[in-house]
Amino acid sequence: MSSGRIWFALALMSLLAAGCATPPVVDVQPGERPPLESDEAGFWMVMDRVEERVRTSGHVVRDERLNAYVRDIFCQLTLDYCNDIRLYLVRSAYFNASMMANGTMQVWTGMLLRTQNEAQLAAVLGHELTHYLRRHTLQRWRDIRAKTDALIFFQLATAVAGVGIVGTFASLATAGSIQAFSRDMEREADQLGFEMMAKAGYDPRETPKIWEMMIAEKEASNRPKGSIFFASHPTSQERRDTLTKMAAGYDSDTAKLGRERFVEMTARYRGDWLRDELRQRDFGSLQVVLDYLMEAGANPGELQYFQGELHRLRGEEEEDDEAKAVEAYEMAIDTGGGPPEAHRALGLVYWSAGRKDEARGAFEAYIEAAPEADDRAMVEYYLQQFE
Amino acid sequence: MVSPLGARRKTPASNLVRGCARILVVVGAGLLAVACTQTKAFLSETEIPERSGTLRVLLMPPDVEVSEITAAGLSEPKADWTARAKKNVETALNALLAERDARLIRYRSASGDSTIDDAHLQAFKLHGAVGNTILLHKYIPNLALPTKKDKFDWSLGKGVTVLHDSFGADYALFVYFRDSFVSSGRVAVIVIGALFGVGLPGGQQIGFASLVDLQSGDVVWFNRLLSAGGDLRKPDLARSASEDLLSKLPL
Repeated sequence: MSSGRIWFALALMSLLAAGCATPPVVDVQPGERPPLESDEAGFWMVMDRVEERVRTSGHVVRDERLNAYVRDIFCQLTLDYCNDIRLYLVRSAYFNASMMANGTMQVWTGMLLRTQNEAQLAAVLGHELTHYLRRHTLQRWRDIRAKTDALIFFQLATAVAGVGIVGTFASLATAGSIQAFSRDMEREADQLGFEMMAKAGYDPRETPKIWEMMIAEKEASNRPKGSIFFASHPTSQERRDTLTKMAAGYDSDTAKLGRERFVEMTARYRGDWLRDELRQRDFGSLQVVLDYLMEAGANPGELQYFQGELHRLRGEEEEDDEAKAVEAYEMAIDTGGGPPEAHRALGLVYWSAGRKDEARGAFEAYIEAAPEADDRAMVEYYLQQFE
Repeated sequence: MVSPLGARRKTPASNLVRGCARILVVVGAGLLAVACTQTKAFLSETEIPERSGTLRVLLMPPDVEVSEITAAGLSEPKADWTARAKKNVETALNALLAERDARLIRYRSASGDSTIDDAHLQAFKLHGAVGNTILLHKYIPNLALPTKKDKFDWSLGKGVTVLHDSFGADYALFVYFRDSFVSSGRVAVIVIGALFGVGLPGGQQIGFASLVDLQSGDVVWFNRLLSAGGDLRKPDLARSASEDLLSKLPL
């Protein structure tokens, strides 16, 4: 390829790049709605409709007390924007929360399962609020629009100049650049979220712990790991390290954790949320969650039951899952606090191991512990099989 | 999002949005072959029964969205264009239905604004899902479902009687429009592409309408409109698009 052609392409590219600098954004003001003619209003319009679907979705947790509790933590971070954000608790496994351009915040129950106290949850809520305040949806859209606009002209120019291969490289570079911009916004959200929770009096040393757990989960998970070049978020390692450094600068001895109240408010749902995680069949990742919860110490009997379920459902011979399941269920029953299903599960494991007498005992114990259970007839049918 | 791990799994709501977007992309691909307005209607086998009085038809708020195509071909939703288009479509539909042998009932929310009450939203959402399914499986021959290939018997189910109870209507008319226009950057790209013999898509209009029996929930009539022209932002063009869409309405 001739250097003249490349110069022509580069000249055209720089000409176009000059025209696509995006204007700086200012924070959303309390009570603000974008003017109808703006690009931002288009996103609000679309998101208002998405919110309609979220609001009426069967996946939204309706418990008023729990909603009011999370909302209360959120409003401690920001009185000014408290009324501008609608917060939805969404029943879903995995650790996540999201913010839409119009102030619709979704917090997944998989997040509430993993955060150990109000301080950690507050850091996440602050992170999401930053996406709203700093108009991240809009910034990201303008960035994508400007970069893909420049790219298409560049590709046309390189194709015309007969060096189309350069345009192909440029599209990879553009995709990488768009994601790099997204990572920068996540960094900003981490930082401002951190500052908000610290200012509200929560212990900032709690924020890196969230990422500690995420790193361990990812290591143990059987889900594929992607390349950082195309990642929308910085690595958990980077986020943990940055937040650890930030926390080191804070005198936080008097800061609050909000642990007792958090446990009290979420205890009733923890079993449901753990069941959601079990269904993902990502046993490595779930083991990490169980270990963290066990260390935190609330209701170990319930956790032992789920530890048993993990072993029973995984059922790998070399891992000795059957014996471990029995051990965990027995501990759950001895410790107390776990669901009566521990008896039934124990019965199933014994039964499949051919230990009929023990299976019968376990099923009888289940019926005694949960006489009103929906599946009582089924378990009674099991018992008949032993006669 | 706070987490890239969770980001791979989408919430049910975003799944829905993505699902609809995917369908529109597939349908949109079919548009390239169309130069002008094209409609194709289906009538269910269940005849519209003779009734003693005039039929009462509930007009649901039309689902309209107008966007701009960027140079690279992405679409940017436009709130002001959409507001104008929605008003034009509503006016046109009202006028068109008034000319027919039916008593028109306009949808009114409890709050009196342009929203839809939660009680009715489920029917509205369901219609969106069924409508997009019809578009996908009835209009794209390769995707025809073996059990529905030679008949038209889609239904929203008995749940829609909630609309009958609230408004006393026999039928509900649902209308959906998406319209898009090219940005100046896109025009430049299309022109440069054309100079070198590459055809690139510009703006397009897609619409569908369905008439739903509010006793049985059956979709008794369905029509789809595809157009590479048109402009819902203009009252007269919104009127002609609505007219095309309702042209074979059995009322």
